[in-house]
Amino acid sequence: MEPTRTGKATIVDLLDRVLDKGLILNADLVISLAGIPLIGVSLRTAIAGVETMQKYGMMKELLPVPLPSPSEPTIT
Amino acid sequence: MADKGLYLYCVALPSTTLPTQKEDLGIKGIEGRDVFVFQTPTLLAVVQECEQSYGSDDMKTVSQWILSHQAVVDLAWEKFDMVVPFSFGTVIVAKEGKSARENLLDWLEKEQGNLKSKGEKLKGKAEYGIQITWDPMKVAPRIVKTDQEIQKLEKEIASKSSGTAYLLRQKLEVLVGKRMEQAADIYFNELYQKIKRCVEDIHVEKVRKEEPPRQMLMNLSCLLPKGEMDPLGEELDKIEKMEGFFVRFTGPWPPYSFV
Repeated sequence: MEPTRTGKATIVDLLDRVLDKGLILNADLVISLAGIPLIGVSLRTAIAGVETMQKYGMMKELLPVPLPSPSEPTIT
Repeated sequence: MADKGLYLYCVALPSTTLPTQKEDLGIKGIEGRDVFVFQTPTLLAVVQECEQSYGSDDMKTVSQWILSHQAVVDLAWEKFDMVVPFSFGTVIVAKEGKSARENLLDWLEKEQGNLKSKGEKLKGKAEYGIQITWDPMKVAPRIVKTDQEIQKLEKEIASKSSGTAYLLRQKLEVLVGKRMEQAADIYFNELYQKIKRCVEDIHVEKVRKEEPPRQMLMNLSCLLPKGEMDPLGEELDKIEKMEGFFVRFTGPWPPYSFV
């Protein structure tokens, strides 16, 4: 079995990592973006439907690209 | 720049000496801004300029920011081999008469030992997500067939009057539910051990809600050297072949869960 970076479940996996994981800096020289934790919850709920994902552009950005190549980023 | 903040994507160990202290990474980041690399003698930080305080309650906007974050961390991961990714939305601000850049460089210098040791640990490694789900209705017949207590109760139901049989059927339902819970625990331990043997590090994550009738048995983040996932893939193939079990295997991801 080969790992994949496409599909609905992959987007949820990506959200889990980017929103909840990664190093968290607790210092007074750091701020967090306003409203992001709440948006994170809403996004996960929204991803339950493929149509919603298309609406928010996530399918378009992630699905047609088998493995988003770091040298050719899909986001500009 | 003194009044600007710096959005921090990741910290990395430089693979080559960069010509300047501020190099354009060649990718657009959140809101299409240029992404730069700031370097100290031992570490570098991948950042972009941003306002000191901003946010959004628009899901489309935030979705784009998340994808941009991931694209930048992916590129850094490719370019520098080792990255310590930061959680989405980390902004270094100007404070106490110092610019955000000065604060960032001070912080990198102060934390270099800690960050370097995290980085070395993650060098050349990738993270993979594994979710195993099952359909209890497909697994239950096997368990019912082999459980002596259930078999005995079923025989008893068949030989009793309808009133008594009704009560016994309720008892049977509870018993089957209990056996399924026990089976879930046994499968979890068994599959976890099999997967653990194929990876370098493993984290058990919270299970997610699945579309019925499927239920998620386990949600794992696994760390292993890039390109060395054949034994894991083979193990997952075996699990996928088990009646009523389904496997999702995602990645490779930068090692978000192991920092």
